[in-house]
Amino acid sequence: MKVEAIDYGERKVYTVTSFNRGVASWLTRLPSVWVEGEVTELRRQERWQSVFLTLKDPVDGACLGVSMARGRFDGLRLDLADGERIHILGRPELFEARGDFRLRALTIERVGLGQHLAALEQRKQRLAAEGLFAEQRKRPLPRLPRRIGLVTGNDAAAKRDVISSITARFPPARIVLAETYVQGPLAARSIADALQRLGTLSELDVIVVARGGGSFEDLLPFSDEALVRAIASSPVPVVTAVGHEQDTPLCDLAADVRASTPSVAGRLVVPDLAELNAALERIRGALRRGAERALERDRQRVSMLHDRVRRAPRLLVERRRAQLERTAGRLRALSPRATLERGYAIVRTEDGVVRSSSSLASGAHVDVELAKGGFGARVAETRP
Amino acid sequence: MTAPLRFEEAQGELERIVRELETGGADLDRAIELWQRGEELVRFLREKLDGAEGQIEKLADAIGPDPSHSAP
Repeated sequence: MKVEAIDYGERKVYTVTSFNRGVASWLTRLPSVWVEGEVTELRRQERWQSVFLTLKDPVDGACLGVSMARGRFDGLRLDLADGERIHILGRPELFEARGDFRLRALTIERVGLGQHLAALEQRKQRLAAEGLFAEQRKRPLPRLPRRIGLVTGNDAAAKRDVISSITARFPPARIVLAETYVQGPLAARSIADALQRLGTLSELDVIVVARGGGSFEDLLPFSDEALVRAIASSPVPVVTAVGHEQDTPLCDLAADVRASTPSVAGRLVVPDLAELNAALERIRGALRRGAERALERDRQRVSMLHDRVRRAPRLLVERRRAQLERTAGRLRALSPRATLERGYAIVRTEDGVVRSSSSLASGAHVDVELAKGGFGARVAETRP
Repeated sequence: MTAPLRFEEAQGELERIVRELETGGADLDRAIELWQRGEELVRFLREKLDGAEGQIEKLADAIGPDPSHSAP
């Protein structure tokens, strides 16, 4: 194809049409190549000759317009949806009328499951090598979280399951809900953003990321590298419950605890209030019984002392009395009266008791005392 | 009699009197004297004990029955 320039003396100037045509013609020399990206903005109309879509690089969002002959596109029966990853074989092309650069697709292939799995496995190995999934990174869940972050879809059954299992076990739980996309191209980013936002909240002690079951493609955002990193770097422990038991998206590996279902996740993050109360009640009972035992012990001790105190004075008096009676008995046995009872008599003169006949003279008057009564007498004779 | 102020003093004196009488060291006049004093002391001590007993009963009545005994 010939491109004509207009001559302005020294300067060669091209019309827009010739410029576009020139570049377009030059581009045709480039070879056909495969390009990978995500489908966005797919536009197809019966009256159009071509189908248009934008291919987006999932890593940095770089975009490339793509066109394909409508008949050829329909023949592939791909039924593409936004966010799907595809491979396009095509040539670079300039749409001359508008100067639009794009890829003219010859064929489109959906990136197969096998390729996805291989890519995923590779990512998993890489992140594991970094230590993101290491056991020693896992943090224990709080026993009694002050607030619980919940990242989930806005009308998901998963949301309902988590909330109902939390409130069933622990009615006063405070849940901060962050509703996000949970599938499609925006999901990974919006979940990672939600995690970061929740991480900055005060009194938020644990985060649950929940999503119900879905197809392999549906759950792909939960293996997104940025999301996996966001979970690993969360300032508070993260519990994930994504998909069914057998699904293991990479976010599960980075989470501190992986729950098999959203309900299980809910049960993991709060204690059972009824159980807690029962345990408290048991402790209270033990406390009360302990106090009662101590009280009873002291009461008995006081009571024993009381008994002894009450008895002591009487005992003392009785002991003294017994002692006194013994002494009194001895005193009585020794009394001169007792001697007189045995038949002795006491002879007295004015000078006192007579012990020797030498102190008496015949005819002297003496006084004689007997056990019973006494009498006066005169001394008839004395003997030495 | 010159009443001893304290029970223990009276008791001590009574003991001494009995001991002295038992050893038989005292002459009759002294023995009689001691004996009479002893009898006095015995009476005095009995009165003291009776008085103490009465006081204890009165106090016990005033305090009332022991609750730890009346409790079931």
